[in-house]
Amino acid sequence: MAETARITFQSPVIVVEESSVRATAVPWYIWSSVVAVTSTTFGLYWDISWHIGIGRDTFWTPAHVAIQLGAVITGLSCAYLILHTTFGGSAASKENSVRIWGLRGPLGAFIAAWGGFCMLTSAPFDNWWHESFGLDVMILSPPHVILILGIFMMGFGGLVLTTSQLNLSTGVARERLTRILLYNGCLLLCLLFMLGLEYIGDQTLMHSAIYYRVLGMAAPILLVGIGRASGRRWAATILAAIYTGLWLAGNWIFPLFPAQAKLGPVFTPITHMVPLGFPVLLLPGAIVLDIVLDRFAARGDNWKALVAGTGFLVATVAANWPFAYFMMSRYARNWIFAMNEFGYDMPPSQYHLAWTLRAYEKTHVEFWVGMLIALIATGISTRIGMFWGDWMRRIRR
Amino acid sequence: MRNLYSQVWTLALIFVTTTAAFAHVGNPNVYFESDAGPYHLLVTVNPPPMIPGVAQVQVRVTSGTVTNISIAPVYVNGKDQGLAPTPDPMLRSVNDPQWFTGKVWLMQSGAWEIHAEVSGPQGEGKLAVPVSAFARRTLPMQRSLGVLLFMLMLFLATGIVSIAGAAAREGVLLPGSVPSPRNRRMGRIVMAVATVLVVAILVLGNWWWNAQAADLKHNMLYSAPPLSVAFDGKGQLSLRIEEDYWHKTRKDQWSMGLIPDHGHLMHVFLLRMPSMDRFYHLHPAQTSDDSFTLNLPAIPSGEYKIFADIVRSTGFPETLVGKVLLPDVKGGPFSGDDSGTAALTLGSSASTTMVSPLPDGDNMVWEQAASTLKTGQTTWFRFRVEDPQQHPLNDLEPYMGMAGHAEFVKSDFSVFAHIHPAGSVPMASLMLAKEDSGSPMNHGSLHTVPAEVSFPYGFPQPGDYRLFVQIKRNGQIETGVFDAHVAN
Repeated sequence: MAETARITFQSPVIVVEESSVRATAVPWYIWSSVVAVTSTTFGLYWDISWHIGIGRDTFWTPAHVAIQLGAVITGLSCAYLILHTTFGGSAASKENSVRIWGLRGPLGAFIAAWGGFCMLTSAPFDNWWHESFGLDVMILSPPHVILILGIFMMGFGGLVLTTSQLNLSTGVARERLTRILLYNGCLLLCLLFMLGLEYIGDQTLMHSAIYYRVLGMAAPILLVGIGRASGRRWAATILAAIYTGLWLAGNWIFPLFPAQAKLGPVFTPITHMVPLGFPVLLLPGAIVLDIVLDRFAARGDNWKALVAGTGFLVATVAANWPFAYFMMSRYARNWIFAMNEFGYDMPPSQYHLAWTLRAYEKTHVEFWVGMLIALIATGISTRIGMFWGDWMRRIRR
Repeated sequence: MRNLYSQVWTLALIFVTTTAAFAHVGNPNVYFESDAGPYHLLVTVNPPPMIPGVAQVQVRVTSGTVTNISIAPVYVNGKDQGLAPTPDPMLRSVNDPQWFTGKVWLMQSGAWEIHAEVSGPQGEGKLAVPVSAFARRTLPMQRSLGVLLFMLMLFLATGIVSIAGAAAREGVLLPGSVPSPRNRRMGRIVMAVATVLVVAILVLGNWWWNAQAADLKHNMLYSAPPLSVAFDGKGQLSLRIEEDYWHKTRKDQWSMGLIPDHGHLMHVFLLRMPSMDRFYHLHPAQTSDDSFTLNLPAIPSGEYKIFADIVRSTGFPETLVGKVLLPDVKGGPFSGDDSGTAALTLGSSASTTMVSPLPDGDNMVWEQAASTLKTGQTTWFRFRVEDPQQHPLNDLEPYMGMAGHAEFVKSDFSVFAHIHPAGSVPMASLMLAKEDSGSPMNHGSLHTVPAEVSFPYGFPQPGDYRLFVQIKRNGQIETGVFDAHVAN
């Protein structure tokens, strides 16, 4: 009964019942997608920590290898899957595929392969960029944008691979695929948050509109989209919980490994890997998203996007605004909250700046305009998430 | 000709010319010879062409047996300059145990010191090498790489359009279902929309790429401060260091004040163009932070190239470049450390010259070991003063604290290097490095001078060069002039 109710509020789409096409096990290529996205996400966290603490950057740092390993795994597994489906696959696998340039394979395999290829393409481009314009000083350089695009498409392809299988599955396989979808979706959320780290990783901005603008744009699209695609109750809450758990694990495990600054000038001596900071308090907003979308399942999507988006923003502000005072206090300067962790390039004379809330917007008017933009962005992001989630629930191939 | 110049200076009492050029004028490499404890080393540093970048460091051990050398870069900004990162060991050559190679990461433009710790059976030693880091060039994309990236972009662009079309056409169909005409139409519509989007993204991406590249070039590429030069029509030259964008945007990060090098805030070299038949090494007086005046000695008329060496208070040396058109100047004799010489027109000697006659009848001899000079080879340029009977003379005195000064100038003036027996780094920078590293000071500043003077240097480009080698004897500064052809 609960299952029926859930399907009804999540989407008008009807789950396929044809037993002839019903999948009963998790295919190997979905596991390889999980490994690839995990490797890349872990590698990116490691890479940022490497830049903050060790500094020195070559193509062959272990963090870079972990990032590109995801591309290699994706590229090889998807290439094999496509070639096997095209030239040697069973009739059922051919029927359960899309056709591109004469090749056949699952849609997600093409998307993930495209992402992996994009990531590999960025490597020689990035190398030339370093030689021409110097070693990395900016996150968003043109070759990095291509790499990031590739990473997200690889992750997106993994989600499509999983949902196409999920939408044809029942029983244990469906349950496993749902968990994989939530896990992969959460990794995508982590990647997105790493991209926005300049803003949402800076706790001194927790009283600035920019912090909530970035959160509002980035989080709901994935929380709602993955949540809808999974068909699971409390999906957004589960995603936020996994994100919080993984981020905290990174925060607490990375400093256990020794490190030394390899770039100068060194203003803060480094003895261990530097974590990326305490996670954003995302759970309250995710809970509100789940409650609103569940309670008002029968209402129109635009109405739900407006209400759920607003609820997400209000709950996020309500949780993070007072938490900011704690993060600025001396009680947060410990291994749990990591407010005493600094990169090698941070002079001790400037530590106090990291413990003082600052206003990104210079006037009250700017702040409130920024918050209005955050509200609109959150609503749009929620609506896009709903649309995207619905599309993923319809994916069959 | 004299009348012509008089008319020119009557009509325009002040002639001003301003030229900007690369600092150290065409000589990115640092050559440095010094003791490190019981060992004697020749260090060559090839700074990166872009900042941040990686500098290549090479060490030739010329005295003693060294087993380990570790190096670490220290940024010098005259303010809160932080600590050096963890030192890196240099790699010892298997075939040549006296040869070490390594690299250091230079992350900011400005003055750096490479601190080296040397160890071996004779004990341990320290050394600090001043290095200037500044972006010299961006790298154009090689044609082959450009073609490869274009093909990859085309593949990715058409690939994503096809994927979007397939997703709309077949993605939501049940397995085994054949796309209906409506599905196919939807696929084509999505492909058309995706094509427009991809083209728009590529156009925007191209614009953004060009904007980013232009912005980096504008912000990073070094230019020497422009040098304003004004002649008063009588005998005084006014020089002013102008501020350009590169320096303006960095003066909050590191100190731009000047410190004396060999007792002078500015060393001015005048070379008559194009023949280099007149050479002057002069020292103007400072009138304000950025302004200097120079009372010229007697100088024949002509257009003169000006190279003005200064050292910032962080130890960052710069060479300002300018030009000035002078009439016959009836100046006084040389005073203090000022000096000059007349020489044959450049190119009048068919081959490399080995002997340069000095004014008192003695000769300066270039002891060139290799028959052919090549670019990129670090070489000791050794010079000996001897009497007409070829007997070495031991009457050399320190000239501004050094055994000698040498200027290497390419025939088209695109290369200018002011070298000392310790190498290409200014004495002022060495003094700062010594203070920072705590290493003992023995870089060629001395009270007695041996009969032979040597300078470590490597020509950066092929072509014809003129070498001016300056020494001091019996209170007189003498300049030997040599021509050299450098092969590729």
